[in-house]
Amino acid sequence: MTLKDVVSMEKITLDDAAAIAKKGTHCGMCKIDFLGTGLCPSGKKHGFIAYWPQGRMEIVKALASGRVKPTEKLIEIANSCSFCGICDRQCNFATQLRPEKVAKALKEYVDNLDKSDFQSVLEDDVLRELRGIVGEEWATNDPIIISSYIRTIIHPDSELNFYIVMPKNAEEISKVIKFANKHNMPFMPRSGGTLLTCATPTVLSKAFCLERGIIIDLFRLKKLEIHPESCTATVGAGITAFELQKAAYEHKLRAHLAEAGAHVCANIASTGITSTWQNRYGWAADNYVDVEIVDDEGDIKNHSDMDIKNPYTTERGFTDITLTPPGIITESIVKLHPVFDDEDVVLVPFDNLKDALSMVMKLAKRDVGLSLVILSRKYLTEFLCPTPQIAKDFEYILKNYMKLNYVVDVICNKDDKKIVEEMADYTIDKNLMKSLLLGSPRLASLKDSEFLKILSEEEDPLKAIFAGPMRKHLEKGLDASPEQIAQVFDEDLRDFFKKAYSKPEMSDIIWLHAFRILPSRLMRQRLFFAQAGMIWADDEDKILKLIDMLAEVCDKYKLEHSLGFISPMDDGKYAFFEYDYFYDHNDPDATKRVSQALIETTEKCLLMGDILMVLNYLFKGLYRKEHVLYPKPKAISKEEQELFRELIESILGEELKW
Amino acid sequence: MVKFLSEEWIDISKKYILEKLDPEQDLKNITTSLLNVVEHVPPNDTSMNFYLGFQDGKLTDFIVNTGDTFEEKEAIFIIRGNYGTFKGILKGEMSMAVALLKNRLKLKGSKMKALKLIKPLDGVIASLREITDEYEE
Repeated sequence: MTLKDVVSMEKITLDDAAAIAKKGTHCGMCKIDFLGTGLCPSGKKHGFIAYWPQGRMEIVKALASGRVKPTEKLIEIANSCSFCGICDRQCNFATQLRPEKVAKALKEYVDNLDKSDFQSVLEDDVLRELRGIVGEEWATNDPIIISSYIRTIIHPDSELNFYIVMPKNAEEISKVIKFANKHNMPFMPRSGGTLLTCATPTVLSKAFCLERGIIIDLFRLKKLEIHPESCTATVGAGITAFELQKAAYEHKLRAHLAEAGAHVCANIASTGITSTWQNRYGWAADNYVDVEIVDDEGDIKNHSDMDIKNPYTTERGFTDITLTPPGIITESIVKLHPVFDDEDVVLVPFDNLKDALSMVMKLAKRDVGLSLVILSRKYLTEFLCPTPQIAKDFEYILKNYMKLNYVVDVICNKDDKKIVEEMADYTIDKNLMKSLLLGSPRLASLKDSEFLKILSEEEDPLKAIFAGPMRKHLEKGLDASPEQIAQVFDEDLRDFFKKAYSKPEMSDIIWLHAFRILPSRLMRQRLFFAQAGMIWADDEDKILKLIDMLAEVCDKYKLEHSLGFISPMDDGKYAFFEYDYFYDHNDPDATKRVSQALIETTEKCLLMGDILMVLNYLFKGLYRKEHVLYPKPKAISKEEQELFRELIESILGEELKW
Repeated sequence: MVKFLSEEWIDISKKYILEKLDPEQDLKNITTSLLNVVEHVPPNDTSMNFYLGFQDGKLTDFIVNTGDTFEEKEAIFIIRGNYGTFKGILKGEMSMAVALLKNRLKLKGSKMKALKLIKPLDGVIASLREITDEYEE
């Protein structure tokens, strides 16, 4: 009997499965083929979240809590899993979870139910009409299927009185919207659901989620065409960042994209694609040539239409908050950029943020680098390390022995690399980064070793390790290899991960920056931004004060926190920052503290001025960045502070203690 | 039973706002006017308008009519939304501010100025909530 057989025989109860499911991060990585495993066959066939590993986990939670009762559809959902193991590999890479165990528990639960336990769900008039628009199999009011959308568009406490439709094109979406308006039903599009996933445990949840009505799942809009002759791509709303990048790379072109699981069109509409490449590739309307939008009235428009109102501008000011996209982008034509033969990566390690900031802004103003960013120690370790414990130990070593707290991380051509190297005393190159990635478990195991103790006694440990004789010892000691890193995975998955990490791209730092499969690891501990936004970058001291302020507020609310990254934009005139909390999203007390801290940091940022916060740029990704960023946001007055507080209380529906 | 947008609703609403809301405390002495355009009113998918005027916190006008246009008065703010959205706000399922921020209500006029009216208008909506208990389905 093989180990695989043993694992497959392991039985777990629905409650045990629910405990696994609670850790689910909704990162969407099970919906992209980033490891070459293929995709979940049932999800690919049926589309609805319920048929994907992520959805099964949500269903198990809903069943175990009694939130939903079994329906006849549940039998089909449970039986649609072929236990092929793809999800275990994908999910294990990002979060160390085993969704297949959940699927097995679900099947066993369903198999043990009596026929009379399943309720049948009747087709009502609304569903009949919706099916008339999108087709019989692409519209549902089944509570089990609806429950799989909890936390990615439905509030966890909401009643499950929704319809879900999966239209195939803009025309069908238009008809659904016109139907919804006529019948006074709210509606909302859903793509990857990752943005709402981050917000749903927090204070923003009710404001963001759909309270009832029609969920328009954009999964079926799968058009993807690369036009090498014009360096553009036509991208349907169901296409993920990973899928587009993969297609673009086949033509030696690169798209500017969010995290791998994010959907391109939705990301354009929501946050406007913020990444480490934005100083070169731009932000907001810089990223696309044209979009097709279905507006709130159900009318289909293109930005290139001659008779539409200026679609590139927006109101300004701190009260200009938008909690919904300006229509549904069904298709976009996005810009692609050349991939150069001489691209390389160079990282400059720093013990303090001030020096790192000074360097990155100098590089940004001189337009050095394709991708340019300051990564915090936390982000660097979470990206590189396959498990949270290894990341924790790795981070401990960087902090306490190496004094490496930040890196300026640059993807650039050879000429730019020389400029960076001339500005730095020592750098980390592509090969050493590869060694750190594949050797991360070994490095983490050196936590209290003599080698590191000796290193920490050096006057400049960073210099000693990256420019001195110790570098050779480090590289040798890391023994970096696919075999080594594969050892940290569950025994039955080790062969698979050895092969996966043997693929050149899996340790190619440039590929990893472009395809962005690693940020999903940040969700192992639930991440939410204490604050994210753009700050006028002329005053570097102000940026440092901002970071200090965010840290103080997080400390006040006893939250684990860290700077994520700072990436310049608009030729270094602005800097995009993300500062994160890490917390248990199943802990209501932690969630409450996250919410309080979010409100407090928002107010403090408004009082500082020169900052465009996430609440003020959300859903403004279609506009020209110049119209969003300029004039610079002014600090608010006392009177405006009162108005801000009234506005927040009105959004939340409760009086707050300020 | 008082039905939203009915004659009876207008009479009782006027009386209630005048009697129960204090111009200074509740309505912050506002001077403004607001035209609410209610679209897709069941059962015939028509539009209705209700206009509210305030002078120094006192209700001066409360006018309802049917149709796509409203010419009796010019309003500082025009808010447009479907019947379901107004129903949700009156039933307390969603605040007016959230409806505006979610684009369920579309505003013509300065958003900054409109949001300054949130607190006093919340009082008006709470009053209307007290007296409205029937809606078109």
